[in-house]
Amino acid sequence: MARGSRVSISERTVVTTRVASPFRSYTDGRAIVESRGATVREALADLDRRYPGMRFRMIDEQDRIRPHIRLYVNTDAVEQLDHRIGRGDTLHLICALSGG
Amino acid sequence: MTTLSAAERERYQRHLSLEEVGVSGQEKLRAARVLVVGAGGLGSPAALYLAASGVGTLGVVDHDRVDASNLQRQVLFETASVGRSKVEAARERLLALNPCIDVHAHDLEVRAATVMDLLRGYDIVLDGTDSIPTRYIVNDACVLLRKPLVSAAIHRFEGQLMTYLPGLGPCYRCLYPEVPEGLVPNCADAGVLGVLPGVVGAMQATEAIKLIVSAGSPASGRLLVYDALELTVREFRFKRRQDCAVCGDQPTILAPTDPSTGLCDATTLRDRVRRLRPAELQVLLCAEHSHERRESATSVPVIVDVREPREFATGHLEGALNIPVAELAARLHEIPPGRLPAFICRSGARSLIACSVALRGGVAQAVNLEGGMLAWVAEVDPTLVVAAAR
Repeated sequence: MARGSRVSISERTVVTTRVASPFRSYTDGRAIVESRGATVREALADLDRRYPGMRFRMIDEQDRIRPHIRLYVNTDAVEQLDHRIGRGDTLHLICALSGG
Repeated sequence: MTTLSAAERERYQRHLSLEEVGVSGQEKLRAARVLVVGAGGLGSPAALYLAASGVGTLGVVDHDRVDASNLQRQVLFETASVGRSKVEAARERLLALNPCIDVHAHDLEVRAATVMDLLRGYDIVLDGTDSIPTRYIVNDACVLLRKPLVSAAIHRFEGQLMTYLPGLGPCYRCLYPEVPEGLVPNCADAGVLGVLPGVVGAMQATEAIKLIVSAGSPASGRLLVYDALELTVREFRFKRRQDCAVCGDQPTILAPTDPSTGLCDATTLRDRVRRLRPAELQVLLCAEHSHERRESATSVPVIVDVREPREFATGHLEGALNIPVAELAARLHEIPPGRLPAFICRSGARSLIACSVALRGGVAQAVNLEGGMLAWVAEVDPTLVVAAAR
């Protein structure tokens, strides 16, 4: 019961997500989208439901953040996908760029 | 007692009025040697401002010729420059702007074999190249030679910048340990706002000048992300990685090396990979059964599903081979000779890497299913089940 309540709360936690330029092809060009979750893992899973394939561009088969990707919650670097996110936080998705 | 000539004092008057620069700062600028890697969108404004600012020795390295499509953003060049060597045209332009400086034109490709000798002649390096492998070669050489590096990159409306200070902060590899070729689109594919590199390249020049005159705070350990559409600059801190391959506690990179990732460059991918949507691939596969196609074995595609076996087992296209992308280089012989491989994965990312691996392995042409199995299910066959990638 308690577990169910937590899931319910986390699903309602809306996270402002700023999308890296190379991933905006998934979000119809939008720089800012909403995702829901109490952790980065949940937020990325929610993003993948809305924008299929987007998560795999950032996270590999072993659940590791790909080496050309950096994730931040507000100004804190995300090292683990279980990094917690609170209401009002912003998740930044950053991708290495190659253009010069 | 200044060593600046009357002409220099007049030219740099606005700098001399700044407490942070002044006569001594201007003399430091004149004594400085700065290398700009890449005479492109970023290198153009960076080199122009460094020249205008009186950086005494300016090097520009590039191996390209000016193309008409460069002129939208590469402000070093003019219409009459089209077809000329970029570094020669740049040298002419920079000396026209400021004849008080020396400009060295290095018409060469930055490779492991050339980078160390090239960088030794300079105090500070600005990287604005459009090549991911070159970014790592330059970074590694800067770390090994203990040269400050101001690295920047652009994409569409976004720019990024960071500064590496030897012994004092993290390097580019600490920020991005590696960048798989093919997963990061370049400006030729994705486009770029012409003025964007003007802003970011000017930031690079600013960083170099600050370092030379010891003013302000460099972007060491800070990734700056500039969004031109929203007019925002965000800053993200990052630290030196103890396990960094080049600046870490036990480095494994002791000399710059040319990339041996098994992948190929964006141009090769563009020229030799057919990127097909599901409906287009379906047409190709249906044609396989026609008499004409059977007569021509080389045009008959073979589906190569590069997902993990667990994902493959959940659901796959009929007749597909399963070779996980990590095993592809060693199992290329399993693709029937002469057949056109059509690489498929869940969303289209792994299959693009597979195309690159195959081309490097000797396959002449390849097909990538854009959007992968997810797109196939959405557009062709909703009855197929696609396994989660994790």
